[in-house]
Amino acid sequence: MTTSEDVLATAEVDGRTRRRPPGLPLDPVRARGLVRWVVAVTTAVAIYVVFLLVQGADPATVVSAMVRAAAGSPGNIADTLVRATPLLLAALAVAVPARAGLFNIGGEGQLVIGAVAAAGAARVLGGAPTAVALPTMALVGAVAGLAWALLAGALKVFTATNEAISTLLLNYIATLLLTWLVFGPWKDPASLGQAYSPRLEEGQQLPDLLSGSLHVGVLMAVAVAVVVWVVLRTTSWGFQLRVVGGNPEAARRAGLRVSRLQVGALAVGGLIAGLGGMIEVAGVEERLRPEMMVGFGFVGFLASWLARHDPLKAILAAVVLGAIAIGGNGLKVAAGLSGSAVNILMAVLLLAVLGWARPSTAGGR
Amino acid sequence: MLLESVLTGAVRGGTSILYATLGEVVTERSGLINLGTEGSMLCGALAAYVVGIETGSPWLGVLAGMAAGAALAMVFAALVIARGANQLATGLVVTFLGLGLTSLFGQSYVGQGANGFAAVPVPGLAELPFVGPILFDHDPLTYLSFAAVPALSWLLLRTRPGLALRAAGERPEVLEAFGTSPQRVRYLAVLAGGSLAGLGGAQLSTAFALNWSENMTVGRGFVAVALVIFAAWDPRKAMGGAYLFAGAIALQLQLQARGVEVSRYLLEAVPYLTVLIVLAVLSRRRVHAGPEALTKVFDG
Repeated sequence: MTTSEDVLATAEVDGRTRRRPPGLPLDPVRARGLVRWVVAVTTAVAIYVVFLLVQGADPATVVSAMVRAAAGSPGNIADTLVRATPLLLAALAVAVPARAGLFNIGGEGQLVIGAVAAAGAARVLGGAPTAVALPTMALVGAVAGLAWALLAGALKVFTATNEAISTLLLNYIATLLLTWLVFGPWKDPASLGQAYSPRLEEGQQLPDLLSGSLHVGVLMAVAVAVVVWVVLRTTSWGFQLRVVGGNPEAARRAGLRVSRLQVGALAVGGLIAGLGGMIEVAGVEERLRPEMMVGFGFVGFLASWLARHDPLKAILAAVVLGAIAIGGNGLKVAAGLSGSAVNILMAVLLLAVLGWARPSTAGGR
Repeated sequence: MLLESVLTGAVRGGTSILYATLGEVVTERSGLINLGTEGSMLCGALAAYVVGIETGSPWLGVLAGMAAGAALAMVFAALVIARGANQLATGLVVTFLGLGLTSLFGQSYVGQGANGFAAVPVPGLAELPFVGPILFDHDPLTYLSFAAVPALSWLLLRTRPGLALRAAGERPEVLEAFGTSPQRVRYLAVLAGGSLAGLGGAQLSTAFALNWSENMTVGRGFVAVALVIFAAWDPRKAMGGAYLFAGAIALQLQLQARGVEVSRYLLEAVPYLTVLIVLAVLSRRRVHAGPEALTKVFDG
């Protein structure tokens, strides 16, 4: 670790003071970023391999099975992109409130509620044409996600309940609500042990791109990321959020409506996650299952932090974490290990990135 | 009858959360908030379970559980204290790490019979009507928690190390001026917090559930973090919080057992909802009760 830090330290000094030397393909600041990524990924993989060895699994088999599962064929790459989609939207649901200095750890619950509401809308719509059904489901899902996030926002403003804790607790409530619906009123009579809701109608499913598992939702998520990036960068709302996130007291004195901005940021986060839930149910699952999105919200949280809350970088972060998550399937097949073991890889990667914060911000946000 | 079963269940099921809450009280009194408590509980639960089975001694298991909880908390401490990483994010990632580690190493133990703690009725007292089953018919770790609460309370409020801990959370510069490093105090506090969370996890797997399953804590560690606010950073009130949450679980189980016509899953949401509502009612009053150093995490 010391050697890599030394490298980073020198790169940092170079990056700050020198202009880009002619003939160098990358300027030093970018090179530093790249070095950090390489170091983080290598460290994470190394630690992961150590744990695999301890568990008695053959790392070569496991890692190659993971790589194959995530990127071995066009179909596998499609799987990774499809998984990255809800992760990206969950990441944006973290990134927008983070601009305003808020912790939305409720991406999971907001995704779930979005999926539930979209499926509920589909039940009401029945055989309506696709042009009506899909936009309605998207709208209902997004609004439901917004409402769920707004609960945490209202608790913060009216009762001073910390949003990190309330959104965390709301995740469990949302998941149980989904489980209740799937085992109870919305249960498909055909499902026996593994409960699920009836399949969506043909016209309520997101159209496929090319072929295979890739669906339109992948492009929708990227479009949302770009829109969020533009809004945060160019609108005064985006600027105000950053002021609030930087120093709420100063923002208050400058006359900004801090509470309203914060609740708004949370609501927009919930809106995006709700849409993510709709995309997952209409594009991938085509029905509700209790475990359909377990952990997605948390991985989205990691993706946002990996990207340092930058909406465009979040695309890349979501793809990386999506690949690791899909790699977990390979892990299960090749070594018979729990797919959740890939959480180690994600966590160590994140810890490496978090550990780079400047010591001057010690203890603070 | 219902009340007795619910209260008995509250104490039995609340012990693991109580330990985790006590641990988080210690951590937060030093000025840090550790969402990795959930991960420490998981690591403690698995380590205690595995070591209990492998060595045949549940007490060695408890020690292993505490060590595992502390080890995970150390990752949090190193990143937050030494590297200045964001507390809430680091804590959550550490929980994620704990989840991954326990699912990797715990897989071969899923569904294996446990070598755990049985209930040891206190002679004489356990036969008392009502109070007997509620207080005096539990596993040893639960009795230990009855002693841990006043002990910790005394340690925090009446001893020099307790004073140093509180100073680290309120006025670190004063502590520094007296020649004690607040950072060192925080390291120790996080370690103690992690080992208490590990102890809570150990109680969960080796005395309460007598089983190991992936992600078996289902948010108990996060609930513990929420309960610290409820408890106003006071170990004695932590007891009430932990039993409230576990009591809601016990009530829900009793209602199910009595064939109440409400879905099991809706009832399972009640404990989380209870904590959320209690927190909403109390948060405004608690805002200024917390350690000074935490306000910059909580406000804004």
